[in-house]
Amino acid sequence: MSNIPVARANFSWRRLAGDFWQLIKMPALAIILAFAVGVVVILLTSRSLTTVGEAYYGLLRGALFKQRGFSETLVATIPYIFLSLAVAVGFKTGLFNIGVEGQYTIGSVCAAWAGVAFSGLPAIIHLPLVLLAGALGGAAWAALPGYLKARTGAHEVISTMMMNYVAFRLAEFLVDGPLRDPLSSGVQTSAISPAAELWKLSAYPARLQDPLNALMVALVAALLVIVLARALLKSSRFAARMQSAARRRSLYIGAGLLVGVLCFVALPPLSKAWWPFTDPYDRLHSGLFLAVLAAVGVWWLLWKTTLGFELRMVGANPSAARYAGVSITRSIILSMAISGALAGLAGTIEVIGVSICGCLPLIFSSGYGWDSIGIALLARNNPFGILAASLLFGAMRNGADLMELNSGVSKYIISLIQALVLLFVSAPAIVRWVYRIKAAPKQEDDAKLTTGWGGPL
Amino acid sequence: MSVFMDRLRSGLIRNRGWVTVLLGLFGLVAIWALLNLVIGGKCEQKCVIDTLAQTLRQVTPIAFAALCGVICERSGVINIGIEGMMLMAAMVGYAFNLLVFQLLKDSLGVETAGNVSRIVAMLMGVLSTVLLAWLHAVVSIRFKVDQVISGTVINILALGFTGYIYRQFLAQNVPAGPGTFPLVSIPFLSSIPFIGPILFVQKPLTYIMLIAVFFIHYMLFYTPWGLRTRAIGEHPRAADTLGVDVIRMRYINVLWGGVLAGLGGVWFTLEAVDVFNPGMTNGLGFIGLAAMIFGKWTPIGSLVGAIIFGLGSSVTATISIFRPDIPSQFPQMLPYILTIIILTGVVGRAISPAASGQPYEKQ
Repeated sequence: MSNIPVARANFSWRRLAGDFWQLIKMPALAIILAFAVGVVVILLTSRSLTTVGEAYYGLLRGALFKQRGFSETLVATIPYIFLSLAVAVGFKTGLFNIGVEGQYTIGSVCAAWAGVAFSGLPAIIHLPLVLLAGALGGAAWAALPGYLKARTGAHEVISTMMMNYVAFRLAEFLVDGPLRDPLSSGVQTSAISPAAELWKLSAYPARLQDPLNALMVALVAALLVIVLARALLKSSRFAARMQSAARRRSLYIGAGLLVGVLCFVALPPLSKAWWPFTDPYDRLHSGLFLAVLAAVGVWWLLWKTTLGFELRMVGANPSAARYAGVSITRSIILSMAISGALAGLAGTIEVIGVSICGCLPLIFSSGYGWDSIGIALLARNNPFGILAASLLFGAMRNGADLMELNSGVSKYIISLIQALVLLFVSAPAIVRWVYRIKAAPKQEDDAKLTTGWGGPL
Repeated sequence: MSVFMDRLRSGLIRNRGWVTVLLGLFGLVAIWALLNLVIGGKCEQKCVIDTLAQTLRQVTPIAFAALCGVICERSGVINIGIEGMMLMAAMVGYAFNLLVFQLLKDSLGVETAGNVSRIVAMLMGVLSTVLLAWLHAVVSIRFKVDQVISGTVINILALGFTGYIYRQFLAQNVPAGPGTFPLVSIPFLSSIPFIGPILFVQKPLTYIMLIAVFFIHYMLFYTPWGLRTRAIGEHPRAADTLGVDVIRMRYINVLWGGVLAGLGGVWFTLEAVDVFNPGMTNGLGFIGLAAMIFGKWTPIGSLVGAIIFGLGSSVTATISIFRPDIPSQFPQMLPYILTIIILTGVVGRAISPAASGQPYEKQ
């Protein structure tokens, strides 16, 4: 996805639609083809056409139309977004982080620890602290293979994979040992403090009655408005009108403060009077906002900052990057750390937002890891594409249970279809061959992953 | 035979393999000392023999995976799909073992049916990985997709497919199968004290593995096939100029790699245990790749690497028998940590075949 500036005079909706179609054509065709192969597999193993219909109908109904179906889909989408963003950050730097599942595990352990250890703090401090703990845990877990890769050339594909198994064992030990809840019969950590929980959307009115919580929301809103207004004022349309940087600054800070104060004063009573999410059993939580924020953040980081430019340069052409004075070692370690932080956040959010016991149970491995690689490839590492692709994978994951119940087709068929999507996306030649499409003109080369195993860089 | 041994020895020296072997021996002694330290000097001869025999069993799948890696990478194709291939072979082998046994047990009798079904299962398991290897070859050699991505696709595909078949057919109401291969003790050799019970009372795949290691080492370094294979992995353009069909050779070698990965995979369900679990390969395919790197892309070196990992896990088992007070998770981490340490090159720098990972574009 290149950002070629388009002159405004030439703008046309038709061209935009055409560009959009070009962008999603191959992934869309790949998805259709994968579902078609899924039909064949179900047919071969069940020998009845109605089963195929039942399975796909059940999948659709489970993903969207059953009670709370769509919000459950979103719940499943949230970790996918974080994990595939993590994979994408690595890919863009030419690193293949297949250890996101391990970083996710470590992140969840750190979050469970921080959620219990700092009990008593108000949410405004505790919640960011827990998120930070999870992110740092994941970052450290990923930075180690990054360091080894940069210093000794130990290939990250194997070392992150090995770190996965170490992480699983370590989490097992910690949950069964030092962190175990002595009062519970199940093997799980103590329940995290309510202040560290990520709010369910239905819990907002009740939570906002605490002035400190309202202050937290107001602060977040103010920050968001400041960032947005600043970006808007910097854009060409306004920059021409407002030359003075000081005026711009006072304008966006003023806007932020105004929104913050408004939120603080008006939101608690207003939300009490009317709130769209009333179902207390709906599990959809604020992690959704964090996930979208993370996607925007990764896009901003990779395409709008110097660091992001350096990372992408290292990914696209390491020798050119070194020649330009970019430190490869630093880029690799930073990229892995960012990637791990995102993966750690995924684990954190699952613990403080979704976990039923409000704690970390012994069996917490999710199988998200491999899927998220598929999502990142499907979206060609574009953060906004990742939002869409994660929604697709989340919907499939959520619909799979009802599909299995309805048709007796095992829900593992989903993994098979996802693997096929990945295969077709990574080998577009197959898709072109099936649909008889002519080869597209050569596009921007993505970072090359395979650069041999051994030797320092 | 003596000519063969001479060549083998000179090959070892030329590849500085003796350094690897020495390091391996040193590691062996160190691990034994450590073991005695941990369990408090209780490991007598019987325990040592058991641990070492167990080691050799554990080595089998790792060594097969490493051999697969050696053949693929020596010809310039990185294969990280070995893990998935082995998983596939394990599932297919298990399923066919049950299926063929059910079909044949009435007509042939339990004994013969068991033997037949195990062999058929082994062949079908190998066939399944050859198919996956073919997929890897088509995607990475013909369509020139990044080989690491292609290998990942294989891994996910195998995970999804085996999981699906397992849930659909193998999870419940499974009839009793014929079980795993029986131990085969080789006459005379097995009665040698100490070495006999370790080396010569094993199951068939372990013998196949040991033979394959030396055979492939010989093939790789002393035959025209080996020279060509190494050439297309180091400098495909030069090999092409001299008339080697690079693409075809890479295809064939990746398929042979598939055969080896398949043998490693069926080990799980035809030799180790008589059940299949989704994800039962537990990263051994990746550990095999690390063993290959440790062995500097030579079969015998890879075997030494595999032995170190095998020793790690069998010593772990021994420790957990003698010292139940140590949390079992820490010894279980050992092989994985060992892998990372070895990857960092503390045992000497590893240089991969120059063209490994690069698709070849014919001009």
